Amino acid sequence: MNVAVTEPVAAAPVAERNDRELAREELTIARKYIGPFPIVMAAWGLGNLVCWLALWPLVMTGTLSLWIAFPLATLNVALCYLPSHEAQHSNYAKSGEPLRWLNELIGYVSTIPLVLPFKTARITHMDHHTYTNDPERDPDYGVKAANAWQAILTGIRRRQPGQPNAYGKLLREKAEAGDETAKRAMMEGLAQTLSFWAILTALAWSGYAIEAALLWWLPRHIGMSYISLFLSWFPHHPMNEQGRYRNTRHFHYWFGNIVSFGMEHHIIHHLHPGIPLNRNAAAYRELRPILKKRGCRLDGV
Amino acid sequence: MIGKIVQTIGPWGPVLFGIGFLAPLIAQSMEAMEIAAPFGLSFVQTGLLIGTGLGLAAKFRGRWI
Repeated sequence: MNVAVTEPVAAAPVAERNDRELAREELTIARKYIGPFPIVMAAWGLGNLVCWLALWPLVMTGTLSLWIAFPLATLNVALCYLPSHEAQHSNYAKSGEPLRWLNELIGYVSTIPLVLPFKTARITHMDHHTYTNDPERDPDYGVKAANAWQAILTGIRRRQPGQPNAYGKLLREKAEAGDETAKRAMMEGLAQTLSFWAILTALAWSGYAIEAALLWWLPRHIGMSYISLFLSWFPHHPMNEQGRYRNTRHFHYWFGNIVSFGMEHHIIHHLHPGIPLNRNAAAYRELRPILKKRGCRLDGV
Repeated sequence: MIGKIVQTIGPWGPVLFGIGFLAPLIAQSMEAMEIAAPFGLSFVQTGLLIGTGLGLAAKFRGRWI
């Protein structure tokens, strides 16, 4: 991403260009989509959190039916990951930039409904990018499954008591190797998880158990399954190839790109993580000839 | 220190969840659905009984479902 483009883009057809020319043109196109502040994603992250928080007083005061709030809360939880994902990649502001605080704020608060600690998410996600589809080193490799239903069942099995936690294992390894950020991530993760259970327990014993179950606990489980399916399983299935142009695929989802949270174009994210989600589709359309030349997996489902 | 506390409490997580969350959830659900508690127990007592039982089962089976 830091390579300067100093020469004009070659005018020859894609099929005739060599590796270097393709790389240069790919980078030139990608850079067009990286630049401006991703205001859509920032508004999504903070707005979604406000919506979810608003459900609590609305339900508790009887203003909104719990049965209407439940699907809304589930949608909020499912939607809350992606704005944080942009923050993990510092797409709102890099370290040292004036809006860095906003980047970190969105990263930390947008995933409160999902109870996903930001530092944990950032560290494990960076390893996912570095070692995509590596059975030993990709922390998301556990979603591997033969089909979508198996992927959901695998996800539920992984959340059962005593099951190995790939994220926890990775953080422990890094912390034992002296990584201070990983140590801090473990502490923050523990604090956030314990706070979640403490709040749920306090709500439940205060007479709001059903509200807590349908606004947070159950939506969180549904949201985790949805996110795991669309953000991990679909884009990387069957997870048996590694390498920049083969570890992620483009796919067509039956119910469209919006329902899949924009993940049809996840290959763009793996190639150029600095492009915000809401610009991936346009970038994909422009990059498609180059991706075909590169032998990328541009599949239908 | 914190690691030891987590390692000690962690395996009992399902039981704590059964008592801390499932028990009141069961009690309040029974009340909302007007399901009578058995054996002259209160809703909370019934919830605690079932919640703790489910938590213990999850702990020893290693899975909720």
